[in-house]
Amino acid sequence: MQDLLQPIMNGILLGGLYAIIGIGLSMIFGIVKLVNLAHGDLMILASYLSLVFMMLLGVPPLVTFVFAVPAMFFIGFVLQAYLINRVLGKGMEPPLILAFGLSIITQNCLLLAFTPDARSLISSLSVTTIQVADFLNIPVIYLIDFLIGLVVISLLHQFLQKTYMGRAIRAASDDEGAAQLMGISTKNIYGYAMGIAMITAAIAGVLVGMTFTFYPHTGPQYLTIAFGVVIIGGLGSMIGTLLGGIILGLAQLLGSYFLGPGLQLLSGYLILLIVLTIRPQGIFGRAR
Amino acid sequence: MKILQQYRWVILPVIVAGLITLPLWGPSYWVLFILLFFLYLAMAQMWNLLVGYSGLISLGQQCFIGLGGYTLAVLSVYYGVPIWLSILIGGVISVLFALVISVPIFRMRGVYFAIGTWIVAEALTICFASWDYVRHGMGLFIKPAYELSLNQIYYAALAMGIGSVILVYILLRSKLGLGLMAMRDDEGASETLGVEIFRSKLFCFLIGAFVTGLAAGVFYLYQIFIQPYTAFSITWMVRLLFIVVIGGIGTIEGPIIGSIIFVLLQQVFAEYIHVGLLLLGSVAIIVMLVAPKGIMGTIQEKLGFEILSPRRK
Repeated sequence: MQDLLQPIMNGILLGGLYAIIGIGLSMIFGIVKLVNLAHGDLMILASYLSLVFMMLLGVPPLVTFVFAVPAMFFIGFVLQAYLINRVLGKGMEPPLILAFGLSIITQNCLLLAFTPDARSLISSLSVTTIQVADFLNIPVIYLIDFLIGLVVISLLHQFLQKTYMGRAIRAASDDEGAAQLMGISTKNIYGYAMGIAMITAAIAGVLVGMTFTFYPHTGPQYLTIAFGVVIIGGLGSMIGTLLGGIILGLAQLLGSYFLGPGLQLLSGYLILLIVLTIRPQGIFGRAR
Repeated sequence: MKILQQYRWVILPVIVAGLITLPLWGPSYWVLFILLFFLYLAMAQMWNLLVGYSGLISLGQQCFIGLGGYTLAVLSVYYGVPIWLSILIGGVISVLFALVISVPIFRMRGVYFAIGTWIVAEALTICFASWDYVRHGMGLFIKPAYELSLNQIYYAALAMGIGSVILVYILLRSKLGLGLMAMRDDEGASETLGVEIFRSKLFCFLIGAFVTGLAAGVFYLYQIFIQPYTAFSITWMVRLLFIVVIGGIGTIEGPIIGSIIFVLLQQVFAEYIHVGLLLLGSVAIIVMLVAPKGIMGTIQEKLGFEILSPRRK
């Protein structure tokens, strides 16, 4: 029984990281009605950006937030304002295909620039653990992931509830036409929303780089994790996203404990398919 | 253009005859090139049937590609089953698998359907990569395929490519096709008028699985080596998507044009795969921005030019 505590704890802590990975996808899905198939790749782009800043400036990975966050906000805004907005409202396929194209371009640019070798954002934090009991160690980086996850989700919640921009974003998401009548430039709002989603992707990217190794091709793997979080947690619910992340993290680590590490991802996918079948709007999502 | 359209029943047989006799007069490089063209055409035509006509955005066609390939490998290598029979069984297994997953998958709609099919494919990758019976991720060599000549594989590919076009043409001109197009344009209205939506969609999904499985079997005769991370890879969807999108979603000619462009680009960039993929991504985005209906879709709209029209006059 004691053996089980370690995977359960790691699963919960990892859930915080998964929630940040998923929240950006969820936002764009909810607001722009776009399934951003490039979300995982853009997140990995942020990991590489952070790596570049680390090497250029010799700063620890957590400091690279200062550079990676604005850079990703800018990239997100430009992508939305100059590319994605043009294909919105032309049916379901064009935005999906555009995002898929972006995903391929990002992956292959990264591959050409950084070779297919595994990279990681190494710091002393990545290897330190806190011993709680003989049978229980907390990896410090997992703890950081979880805490930053909580902070990001609650900040985003406050932003969407309290600020003018947040309310405008929600208005544009609820009823585009009515929001326009109220004098909100929805296309502009979509740009800011994508920028904010990319800020979460930048934070997720740096944390993923500190926690695991990454390659130019790891994007789609994190995209499926993001899907998992959004689908299990349901759309448009911050608590749901956090719980979705935790459920997925637990499913993966318990699956790895019972079935072997090779099947870690499989148990996550199975949970996902079960939820998709039984409750397509997510466990915590509103029925539409 | 008008002349092309008028004499299409003369021009088409000439082209087909040329393709059938190609191994007799063409260099083997061309044979290889057209072989790949036919296989991509068959797979793309099936994806086009799903996305362009049935409104099923599947991102999981690679399930059937992997299953078709692995059935061929396992049956012919482990049990000595004749190659062509193995490929046929591969198609049947793909259909059975499609039938099984259709139970949960068809409860999902639109985007969820796309995600669901993709996740099924990812789950299959992991199953095959950790399955001792198929040698994990190391993959299998399909040695019996060495007995075949390039021409034999060519004719199998030709049958798949031309067969898929004829199949889709007949399907779309049938009652089912009319129903499908009505359904794509307005699902609610067509259902009220008596189109059996669920059954029509399922039928297309199963046909797509069968032909994709068969085409994959022929592809792995040419490829010789199969490995789970490539066989069940999302890269297949990238290829099919670009072929269909660039050619024109929802047209029969679209995948033909798209496959030619794709195979050409693949040959030109054979040594620079990543630059090639980069280019494919950019072209798809540009096509979406400039002409969302693709090459054939735009030509049809502007000039009313159609060679294989699904509409009955």
